[in-house]
Amino acid sequence: MFNKLAVSAQLDFEEIKQIIPQRFPFLMLDRVIALEPGICAVGLKNLTGNEFFYQGHFPKKAVTPGVMIGEAIAQTGIVFFHTSQNSTPRDVTYLLAGLKLRFLEPVWPGDQLRIKVTPIKMTANAAILRAEVTVEDRIVSRGEFTLAAKETSAL
Amino acid sequence: MINTNNLEQDVRLLIADIIEMEPNQIDPNAHLVEDLGMDSMMALEVLAALERKYKIKIPEDELPRITTVSRAIELAKRYVQ
Repeated sequence: MFNKLAVSAQLDFEEIKQIIPQRFPFLMLDRVIALEPGICAVGLKNLTGNEFFYQGHFPKKAVTPGVMIGEAIAQTGIVFFHTSQNSTPRDVTYLLAGLKLRFLEPVWPGDQLRIKVTPIKMTANAAILRAEVTVEDRIVSRGEFTLAAKETSAL
Repeated sequence: MINTNNLEQDVRLLIADIIEMEPNQIDPNAHLVEDLGMDSMMALEVLAALERKYKIKIPEDELPRITTVSRAIELAKRYVQ
């Protein structure tokens, strides 16, 4: 299963769920449209006015919270990191260890996030990744983040 | 040719930025984990920052050797040369 995923250029929603454990209302990735293990991953998240977080952010004017864009970035990073590993898949949980992002433009209901992740440094248990998020051709967020893979049994 | 004094100052600044301390508050021989609260992810960030700064590649197995600022400086000098 993992080998098949590792060589696929694209992943649909069901394949993404085989890699990342997040589920509704916290699954922030609809599709992976490009995936080159060790090189880059590009994920898509379609934002509808029905997203749970718009109820409170904000009641009078829905704006996508930056932390949810950060979560979409982290989930794209997990898919990238997971499929870039050469070793036998282990039972690990991916934790976000650091996140340094700039939010350059507001993101609205109806926007499609295109999240590109590339590596800065990767080891067997951690990765520092670069992210750039666009809506149409506009960069709405960019930055770097660190993911750690911890043995689930050790958590 | 990289100036050694600049390298020492650069490494100190880079570590200070990652552990969010003032550079002059960091004792070069203080233990990064025990004394300054660095964790393994921050150590990896130091490694990545050194690679980016000096356009070098440092193997992952050097990570455990970054225990103090002085050790990080020694490591950077070794790979820059």
